[in-house]
Amino acid sequence: MTWTCDLIEARLSDYLEGLLQESERAAFEAHAKSCADCAPLVSSVRSLVGEMHSMGELETPPRLVYAILDKTLGPRETVTGWQGFLNVIRGFATPKFAYGAASVMATLIIVLGASGFSLRKPKLADLRPAAIYQTADRQVHLVFARSVKYVSDLRVVYEIQSRLRQDENNLQTTPEEMLPKSSPEKNPGQTDDHKPSQPRQQNRANEVSRHLKMLAVELPMLGERSIR
Amino acid sequence: MEQDAQLVQQCLQGDGSAWEELVRRHTRRIFNICYRFTGNRTDAEDLSQDVFLRVYRTLGSYRSAHGGFATWATSVTRNLLIDHYRRTKRDRITDSLDDKMPVVENKESAGRRPDEQALLGELSMQVQSALTRLSPELREAVILRDLQQLEYAEIQTVLAVPEGTVKSRINRGRIELARILQQMGVRPA
Repeated sequence: MTWTCDLIEARLSDYLEGLLQESERAAFEAHAKSCADCAPLVSSVRSLVGEMHSMGELETPPRLVYAILDKTLGPRETVTGWQGFLNVIRGFATPKFAYGAASVMATLIIVLGASGFSLRKPKLADLRPAAIYQTADRQVHLVFARSVKYVSDLRVVYEIQSRLRQDENNLQTTPEEMLPKSSPEKNPGQTDDHKPSQPRQQNRANEVSRHLKMLAVELPMLGERSIR
Repeated sequence: MEQDAQLVQQCLQGDGSAWEELVRRHTRRIFNICYRFTGNRTDAEDLSQDVFLRVYRTLGSYRSAHGGFATWATSVTRNLLIDHYRRTKRDRITDSLDDKMPVVENKESAGRRPDEQALLGELSMQVQSALTRLSPELREAVILRDLQQLEYAEIQTVLAVPEGTVKSRINRGRIELARILQQMGVRPA
């Protein structure tokens, strides 16, 4: 029996896998060797099969198994149930978490207080951005006004203090200057007051004479009488 | 195989770790079948997840007397791959109208990651490209026989066709693949 090209094609895999009987194999090879179409076909299919057998498998993507388990068994946390929940709670009980939570709370309270939100009387309206802005603006102005007042108060207090100190200094220096100076400079034959009169005494004298003049003008009769 | 049957029994009794073990044992094989069929890593991952989801839901219908778990899971995979092929057929037709044959090959190899290219090698990459241009019936037969190296009887179970048809599809698939490679200018040494 002579093999046609169609038959060669149909039995090619059987030939390559050694499934042909001896006589069939001889006939196959006889045709394949002599046929210009079948020889390259047999050769290329043989090397293709060899190549495919040597092609390695791809590694499984690492996340694929977990994705499949999540899809079938549900998310991993729910698998562990109460145990998982307890583990999460246990994580909260560490000192580090407590410090962190305390500082976050303190920051929140400060920020809320500054934004005008009262924790005792919480109102939703206090959380509006416009309300927060207004309160913050008012707070800033209040703080500015208070600081300005404080500075000016300080200035007044300082001024008063410096005046008082100045007066104290004056009071202390006057008797000191008067007392020790008067005694050593006392020389025989000289009066204590070398000046004719102190300015205050002079003023008083002037005042007395002025009053007298006024009296003289207002009461001319009395003046004439006295002159007489 | 016996171990798989035992794991399936444990799964049916509600043992999650048995299911995890089953998934770990078969993920690589299922993923590779999907990758060889689609030629796309992302599609292969998505399809692998769908395969295991269906296996999980229909585990009760598996009977170890009718063949191994691997064969059963492979036939689930094959059914989903054919569904996927039919679903995406319209997209592929518009794609092939947009760009002609030689461009398709370049586009496919350009979409691969460098580690894949290194693993597959130049010739393997071209074989993979040629595979995706085979008709789905011939493609699945060649993949199961020459890449997964299943026995004819197992392929017969997976494809649910007579042995003669399996042999014929494998043979025609190989010849067709060699011709596609020849058209692409690739000649295996």
